Amino acid sequence: MAGVVLETLGNKKLSILIISLLLVLAAFFLVGGLVSPAPNNVIATTAINCVDSEKLWPLGTSQPFLPRGKKKCSSIGDLHKDKVIIDEELGPNQIVFSQMIPLVRDNTQLSMSRWFQNLIGVVDLDIEFSSKNPYSEEKSPKMVLDARLYGRFKHETDDDWKLIAAAQEQRTLECAIENDNREEGASYNCDLLPLFELGSVYYDFYLINICLPVRERNIYNVNIGRLSELKVIFIHQNGGFTKVWFSMKTVMFPMVLAALCWFWNRVISQERSTNLTERTLFSLGIILSVMNCPVEWLTLAFNLPFMVLLNDIRDGAFYAMLLSFWIIFVGEHMLDQIERNKLSAYWKHLTVVLLACLSLLIFEMCERGRQLVNPFFSIWSSEVGSVAAFTFIIVASIAACVYFLFLCYLVFKVFRNISTKRSSLLHMSTFRRKYYSGLIFRFKFLMIVTLLCAALTVIFFILGQVSEGEWKWGDEDINIEYTSAFLTGVYGMWNVYVMALLALYAPSHKHFTTGDDDNSDTLSQEEEVQLTQVPSTSASEGSNLASFMAKTAAD
Amino acid sequence: MSGVSGWRKRPRGLQIPLVQGFQVAQGTVLSRNAEDSNININKDSSRCNCNHDNSSSSGRTNRTSTLLCVLLIALLFILQVGTVGAIDMWWQLGMSDLLKNPQVYILGATPICTQLKGLSAGQVRFCQKFNDHMPSIGRGAKMAIGECQSQFRFMRWNCSTVADSSVFGPVISIASREAAFTHAISAAGVVHAISRSCREGDLHSCHCSRAQRPRNLDEEWIWGGCGDNIEYGYRFAKAFVDVREQEKTHPRHSPELARMLMNKHNNEGGRKAVYNYAKVACKCHGVSGSCALKTCWQQLPTFREIGDRLRDRYNGATEVRFNRRGTRLVRKVRKFNKPTREDLIYMEASPDYCVANATTGSLGTKGRFCVRNGKGMEGCDLMCCGRGYNTYKQKLVERCHCKFFWCCYVKCKTCERIIDVHTCK
Repeated sequence: MAGVVLETLGNKKLSILIISLLLVLAAFFLVGGLVSPAPNNVIATTAINCVDSEKLWPLGTSQPFLPRGKKKCSSIGDLHKDKVIIDEELGPNQIVFSQMIPLVRDNTQLSMSRWFQNLIGVVDLDIEFSSKNPYSEEKSPKMVLDARLYGRFKHETDDDWKLIAAAQEQRTLECAIENDNREEGASYNCDLLPLFELGSVYYDFYLINICLPVRERNIYNVNIGRLSELKVIFIHQNGGFTKVWFSMKTVMFPMVLAALCWFWNRVISQERSTNLTERTLFSLGIILSVMNCPVEWLTLAFNLPFMVLLNDIRDGAFYAMLLSFWIIFVGEHMLDQIERNKLSAYWKHLTVVLLACLSLLIFEMCERGRQLVNPFFSIWSSEVGSVAAFTFIIVASIAACVYFLFLCYLVFKVFRNISTKRSSLLHMSTFRRKYYSGLIFRFKFLMIVTLLCAALTVIFFILGQVSEGEWKWGDEDINIEYTSAFLTGVYGMWNVYVMALLALYAPSHKHFTTGDDDNSDTLSQEEEVQLTQVPSTSASEGSNLASFMAKTAAD
Repeated sequence: MSGVSGWRKRPRGLQIPLVQGFQVAQGTVLSRNAEDSNININKDSSRCNCNHDNSSSSGRTNRTSTLLCVLLIALLFILQVGTVGAIDMWWQLGMSDLLKNPQVYILGATPICTQLKGLSAGQVRFCQKFNDHMPSIGRGAKMAIGECQSQFRFMRWNCSTVADSSVFGPVISIASREAAFTHAISAAGVVHAISRSCREGDLHSCHCSRAQRPRNLDEEWIWGGCGDNIEYGYRFAKAFVDVREQEKTHPRHSPELARMLMNKHNNEGGRKAVYNYAKVACKCHGVSGSCALKTCWQQLPTFREIGDRLRDRYNGATEVRFNRRGTRLVRKVRKFNKPTREDLIYMEASPDYCVANATTGSLGTKGRFCVRNGKGMEGCDLMCCGRGYNTYKQKLVERCHCKFFWCCYVKCKTCERIIDVHTCK
């Protein structure tokens, strides 16, 4: 009767396999921490205050306002005291905040690169305390940002700016100031306002124009206090990180695919119908391969703004599959006499997983999907949207908690079953007892590895958060990029985990004679032949562990 | 090279590349080092117009000894006058109208650097090299003067400016706390203004990255992005502000050396007040907006915060004197804490700011407004130094019933009211 590799593999080979997988894992962390730069870079800019003296902006047909270059707009330095303001009696609707990225550095006009993958814009307002023109603290004021985003290629001129998106977006401005700090000119602490998210960096230069039109009738942009400057912060993925990430995916994709093929080949060659664990494992491998598939290379040639959404969905699908796999895996090792081996037996558990994933998917589609059409969209900006978003997230987190409790309960049940059945081991022969306790040990070992993976994910997540919080100036010592290490490490870890499962849970070709031969020589003999392709004749299903349990039950 | 040594000897091994292709070709003043493209400014001061510099007599041919003697005497005389009278300071840039129009610089009008008042020889060279930085320096100096006046508006010394090249008047030539504060706040102003201009994209030479990986700037930028601008502001301000203190060597135990050390320390204190207190802002942008990915960046502190911090440092400034060898400054009273790089130091007690004094340069508080029954320094008792005050009624014409928006022109009516005004006798 055939078992799985985990049960028949010799201790030595098992440890070699585990150590090499651990080494691969360590390599992932090191590549992330030492080779790759931080995952993201920030271009913190202060917007130039352009003057729209001819009031062209509301017509919508105007040329973009450029912050520098030959066609630089006429600008003012101070939004309140500049001479032009008093001379021309400029109103707030005539100010257009403008900034273009990237900035000029070291006398070179840098350009954006398609390696940057995505671009996020955030607005930071500097509101000054002014007793005459106060910020409305009782009710957070509503803002309308009238924003336009343009793009241009390197070979084009300033006349060729293409409008990528234009929108009037609502945001709520939340600011606070300490009581003992309330003097003229002191600054409020304001929350950042999300501005836009682009799923691709297709152009070489980007230009943002923002207008804050005052509408007294609708009370927009009215009680926001005295604005001293508007900062636009751009965040994009670093090219170096993208290169490392793409290379990892490109390497992992064929490796997992090969492992998957080998696994399925093994299963097919058993000449029996497949069992549920095998099928689940196979789908897990397929979904992992889909996630690994390096289609991102296409972004270097084409404008594919949906890539971020696609990646999020692929990640989500993988985690959903992994969670389902754990439920099924643990359920199939329940060691009770109930016959499962079919998906319908797990509908309760899987519903919870699917519910969580579905609500996250809907949330994702609402936010990122909508951003494909309008990059300035933010689900959090409208009241209905933020309530809906909160609902989805709360449903997802409740489902996650329920799932976790379910899983803990199942694992607890398996271990209880194992320990109650362990007593019957005493009645067996020495060799068989050794063998079966080895099986139990390995099952437990795999559970522990699973837990370890989950724990490591959480630990590295926290580490990344903490290290980002303790912002340093960067010393000359080797700087370890915790965040990159976290991302590559977690990615590598789940890849390695699935590969280990595929390798260890593939049906073994080795035939363990359950019979009367108590000779320990058999084991060493088995180890020698385990990799030779012996055609299986046995029609029995499942692992040795299951048959052992059936046997003990029969005793 | 000593003039820009602070710029080059950075411990972190980062070098700020030269402004390439900039029209600053004043051949006698600048030389470019093509190999390592670092800032390389000759110590040739032939076009220096500042009366401190004594090197213009060097390199003269030996014509007649009498002529040389006359020259030397004349020079010494100028030097004397220079130290007793007002100090020429670059803070002038904050008062100058020349800098209002940045276009002047873009047109490559380098001779303007020699027209700017208050620049030392080394700073003139900086001006020629980084001429697009000058409006920012002017803005920084202006901000510093404004903040100083705002911080000290209720004090006997109110940071008032005078119409000469020293900006704050001869009172600053006394090595007092006030001098310490003015140096610190103006250095801070430069850091702040340069950093801000970098963020606006105004300057051509803000450096890019601290990443050492690929050599080429474009690749470096694509690989790991750009470093922070506050760091650039700090380094530029260090080079620009401190260059005037490093132009001359002074003998040990000399008051000039002491003053130089004090100025350098206080300049550093001001710069650190910006550099060390940059705030961090973060944004979460992971899957579905989760915080799995968080990106943080530095935010410039507002200049008010910097002013408040330096005002605290002013209150806690440490009095110093020479060490025994006359090379370094050490604290005068041992039981106080050692001044850190962020602290301010001073050497002389502040002059009496109550009465006008031509020798010290104090303007006195006569005619200053004060608050009747005020408890603090703004109160008439303290402000007028016990001399009493005059009270009279004043018709105040002010703007009222204004309609305010977040910016721009404010439409108002004018109102009149009568108020009591107290001024010191």
